[in-house]
Amino acid sequence: MSTQPLRQPATKPDRIDPITTSVIQGALENIAVEMGYKLMRMSYSSIIRESEDFGAALVDAQGRGLAESAQSTPLQSGPIPGYVRGVQRILAARGETIRPGDVIMHNDAYSGASHGPDVAFIVPVFAQGRLIAFAATTAHHLDIGALSPGSCGIVEAIDAYAEGLQFKAIKVYDRGVRNDAVWQIVRDNIRASDLVVGDMDAQVAAARIGAERMVELIERYGLDTFEQACDALMDHAERLMRQAIARLPDGVYRAGTAIDGYLDSDDPTKKELPIVVTITKKEDSLVVDLTGTAPQVPDRPINMPLEGTADIAIWLTIRSVLLDTEVHGHIPVNAGLLRPITIVAPKGCLANPTFPAPTIARFCPGNQLADTVMKALSQAMPGNVSAGIGNLKVIAFSGLKDETHWVHMEIFEGSYGGRLGKDGMDAVDTLYANTRNNPIEDIETHLPLRVLRYELREDVAGAGKWRGGLGSVREFTFLSDGGASVEGEGHRYRPWGFLGGNEGMPAKLDLMVPGQADRALPSKVPHMNIAKDGRFVCYGPAGGGYGNPLERDPAKVADDVLDGVISVETALRDYGVVISAKGVVDSEATRRAREGR
Amino acid sequence: MRLIGVDVGGTFTDLVYADTEAGRTCVHKISTTPDDPSRGVVQGLMALCEKYSIPRETIDTVFHGTTIATNAILEHDGAVTGMITTGGYRDILHIGRHQRPQHYSIMQDIPWQDRPLVKRRHRKTVKERLVPPRGEVLEPLDEEGVRRAVRELKDAGVQAIAICFLFSYLDASHEARALEIVREEYPECFATTSSSVSPQFREFERFTTTAMNAFVGPKVRNYVTRLESEIEASGFKADLRIMASNGGVATPAMVAERPVLTLLSGPAAGVIGGDWAGALSEKRNHITFDVGGTSADIGIVTEGGFGEATARDTWIAGFPVLVPMIDVHTIGAGGGSIAYVDQAGAFKVGPRSAGAVPGPAAYGRGGTRATVTDANVVLGRLDGGNFLGGGMSLDGVAARRVIGELARDLGLSDREAAEGVITLINANMANAIRSRTVQKGIDPRNYALVAFGGAGPLHGAEVADMLGVTEVIVPPHPGITSAVGLLISDLRYDAIRTSFQISGAADLDRINADFTAMATELAGRFTADGIDLAKVTFERRGDLRYVGQGYELRVPFPGGTLDEAALARAFEAFHEVHRREYGHHFADSAIEIVNLRLVGAASAATIAKPVPDGVRSLAAATVRSGSGTFRVDGKLADYPTTFYRRDLLPVGERIPGPAIVLQMDTTTVVPPHFSFEADSAGNLMIRKEAKQ
Repeated sequence: MSTQPLRQPATKPDRIDPITTSVIQGALENIAVEMGYKLMRMSYSSIIRESEDFGAALVDAQGRGLAESAQSTPLQSGPIPGYVRGVQRILAARGETIRPGDVIMHNDAYSGASHGPDVAFIVPVFAQGRLIAFAATTAHHLDIGALSPGSCGIVEAIDAYAEGLQFKAIKVYDRGVRNDAVWQIVRDNIRASDLVVGDMDAQVAAARIGAERMVELIERYGLDTFEQACDALMDHAERLMRQAIARLPDGVYRAGTAIDGYLDSDDPTKKELPIVVTITKKEDSLVVDLTGTAPQVPDRPINMPLEGTADIAIWLTIRSVLLDTEVHGHIPVNAGLLRPITIVAPKGCLANPTFPAPTIARFCPGNQLADTVMKALSQAMPGNVSAGIGNLKVIAFSGLKDETHWVHMEIFEGSYGGRLGKDGMDAVDTLYANTRNNPIEDIETHLPLRVLRYELREDVAGAGKWRGGLGSVREFTFLSDGGASVEGEGHRYRPWGFLGGNEGMPAKLDLMVPGQADRALPSKVPHMNIAKDGRFVCYGPAGGGYGNPLERDPAKVADDVLDGVISVETALRDYGVVISAKGVVDSEATRRAREGR
Repeated sequence: MRLIGVDVGGTFTDLVYADTEAGRTCVHKISTTPDDPSRGVVQGLMALCEKYSIPRETIDTVFHGTTIATNAILEHDGAVTGMITTGGYRDILHIGRHQRPQHYSIMQDIPWQDRPLVKRRHRKTVKERLVPPRGEVLEPLDEEGVRRAVRELKDAGVQAIAICFLFSYLDASHEARALEIVREEYPECFATTSSSVSPQFREFERFTTTAMNAFVGPKVRNYVTRLESEIEASGFKADLRIMASNGGVATPAMVAERPVLTLLSGPAAGVIGGDWAGALSEKRNHITFDVGGTSADIGIVTEGGFGEATARDTWIAGFPVLVPMIDVHTIGAGGGSIAYVDQAGAFKVGPRSAGAVPGPAAYGRGGTRATVTDANVVLGRLDGGNFLGGGMSLDGVAARRVIGELARDLGLSDREAAEGVITLINANMANAIRSRTVQKGIDPRNYALVAFGGAGPLHGAEVADMLGVTEVIVPPHPGITSAVGLLISDLRYDAIRTSFQISGAADLDRINADFTAMATELAGRFTADGIDLAKVTFERRGDLRYVGQGYELRVPFPGGTLDEAALARAFEAFHEVHRREYGHHFADSAIEIVNLRLVGAASAATIAKPVPDGVRSLAAATVRSGSGTFRVDGKLADYPTTFYRRDLLPVGERIPGPAIVLQMDTTTVVPPHFSFEADSAGNLMIRKEAKQ
């Protein structure tokens, strides 16, 4: 099974002048940005408005992405064209027609959706009586009616039905008329439904604004000009990507990493699972083959939908390395960028599961896939990658207040590996995720939680000529009885070092409950009750080092000592740099120490 | 009143003198002295007074816009700064919101990690902790720990200290006590607290703003003190007022304490000046459009009221900054914006700029990239012989050469390529205006576009046309509109309290107490500045959101002691603002009052309307007839175009386009199907002709 290029590369010259194409490109991006801006500002739950775990994009009638909101997280906007194609397939199979005024809800992970909690609302755009395009928003909802509160940490769902409600191309508005029954079902079957339905309303409103703006845009330039411009801007993005690929040496680049899976499981097929990526570069195309990746886990939800998660992880990484914004400036995001890349994943593997294998907890495995793609690319473009990244973790905190649920999902950051000429980024979201934390002053004001520590994790960075980024330490304490579940990765394997750099440090998670022995938890924990004063201490992973640590500038090592990031002992052990108690490099002693290695 | 406004730019320092009673206005321009801008300011003041025979001691007030703080941040050249913060949270400044600035980049730098305002070695923690909802003390302040931290920072050579405790916006006493200890231990150090700089929630943003205040503090304090004494030593008896980002001015004492208030003040004066100019022509709603060489600043002024940026939208050099700021949208589009064909064949203009050096090819300073200015030259819109009033000649050959190269890459004619550059830059600017109008529920067709800055009047009419705006106003001296804006800015201070009150359960006593406390605070400020409180107007506002949301919208609050009915009116206003901004509202949702705000303004003097003088006539104003290239209804064609001297245009006589109007500091383009007149207020009023 493979994803096919969506369209063969254009060989014909653009039929439209470059001025109009650029103007329409700018207008489309402006519309997507407006949709994202409004969704983020209107939405209720912190996972959308603070973590920015939402997407907004414009898609043509063939399901090809035209533009996405710059502000949304890549894992949300990227899948939107796939959602649209999934909806079109389902509606066609059911014999339903898309009409003006429809609003379609969709979250089927086997039809383009990223996973169940990421629900899309899709509004069709018509011109001259014909379906031209779609404006769509996605967002990660707090709860989708799974077996335990929240929509993260549902790590023991045994199949797609255990993950919560499945919406397969459901018209929540049919020709402008609200389908009240569907909305009532949603309300009755999810927790914290006021927040969730409020967020869904915001999504519908934002998608409708996008559709209105598109209609205005098409009226301004005429349908023919609009469609020609869309073709031209996709062809342009395709050329950009092909040129970038063509600069790499032809060859086959293979890399492997592994995920924890369920470290506390007795079943060997549920833990320590390999992810293998083989990239074949020929001329101006890439084939990304995931053969060698572990088989799917049929009854645990760490499987990654090929369309919606695995493809996004692959595209994001290729794009971030080959067309890095820092190097290349703003690059338009549309379907053209994807045409030169073909993805191959054996049916039934972790990255191409078969229904009804559960997928709700695919977030961290997907990011590990992104890291593995970067590891493969590191052989072709060593100056444009980081060493291994530290993966992420989500904890869903919840409780009951009177008869109403409160749910709060917090994403715990990872870190980047070292880079050519630069240390790794410290304590950030990595690769395909780019969410935001919640201010402590917001959390404690609105939830029965206390955050008593949020700092960098000292003395565990992956040493290198350019060292890996630092992880964080964050503590959460329950102020009343509640519960939590954990969905993470990176407890077992150390982020990879590169070109002689040391490996980074895994994440860990401790739980302290008064009257009980302290526990070190695995990276996945199903929902558990936690009594008042129970406390999580979350240690984020530290990225791998880049280059030989003995070549690190001693002044930079001394800076790290002065900043308390590494100890004097580490300076000597990892870097061969002798530093006085006052933080001054002893050059002579350093020379001797380094010579001896 | 006799006032002087001094606006220090990168290249020139502009001065404007106004005698508010006599209606007399004089302008002067000198080169900026970048090593110490105060030298240029004082020289300029003296030169202006001498040139126009104004006795120095008769000047009442000098208004000053400074970029000292802004440049310190942009160049990352500030004090060695230390921080004392709550134990357990040493790295809030470093971790930020754990988000990368760029989604798709491995090699990016994170500003607060790559260029920290406070290095980790200078971030000291002490035991103390407050908790919500009221700032209850969970852990008392370890005063000995503070003392120890100050001594360590002093020994480490720190020149400024930021005191940043969690939840200090609820109760400032721990921070205040720590500040006392800093003053005892290290009195010469610049010290500041987060509760005084910006007492509102969101610790990363508040701490960053406070660290920034400390980082620029010593520099700004020295500058302001030096400038004040030099002005006095030069025989002036004028009060000094300094422009702040909130669209008002502040006293030197206030700025020395909170220099962060001036960080984004540059574009603010332009919005005020643009609005003033539009008001002279009896217009009330303005889109201010200030275009220079590298950027375009866009402001929206409705009935004299300008928007305020929301706390989460204000950034400088990649750092968030929580200070009251007039809502100005800046994009990288100006005369120097570079036009190019990217590697995959797309036609792009900006955001990179050729700047002043080498500048556009037409400047003849070695520029080899096609810019917007070069395109204007090729289209015949900029007159090589009359640029800057003849003060600088333009190299048409060089402009045609670089545009010609661009045209070949695009497979277009020179004329098509040049016009394409203009269309693209105008579309970028129109999109930026749409994001501040259409996208916020404001219909731009009810506004006049006020075009100024060196390049605003070149593009104003065509940008307006893209938006359906039919009136464009070009002020008398478009190049010094910001300096004029300084003269007419109110003395303006803000106070804020984070409140977190929910509709249906709001603690009215607390809200009223907060407003009273803020009124007392601001009254103290104005009194200290020697202002008669009777002349100060206060406006109340609230930052509201639906419970659960993360972004607030600002709504006006009624005056007096608030009761349930008054509060209900504020909540009604919120629903309305939410509907307008986002196109949707949630009538059944509870509303949370996040922040309460009070703005005090002591009104500035009004400047009399300028009177056009001299002998004027159309014949005298006509320079020559030529040809200009314009796109009308999608078709590119050459039109006979008349060039006029602005200073000789007859007042009140409507003249048809296409036309090019020349003056010392700008060139105005009037496209076909537009007409214009010099009006009695000194403005050029350009109008779109109704379709036949």
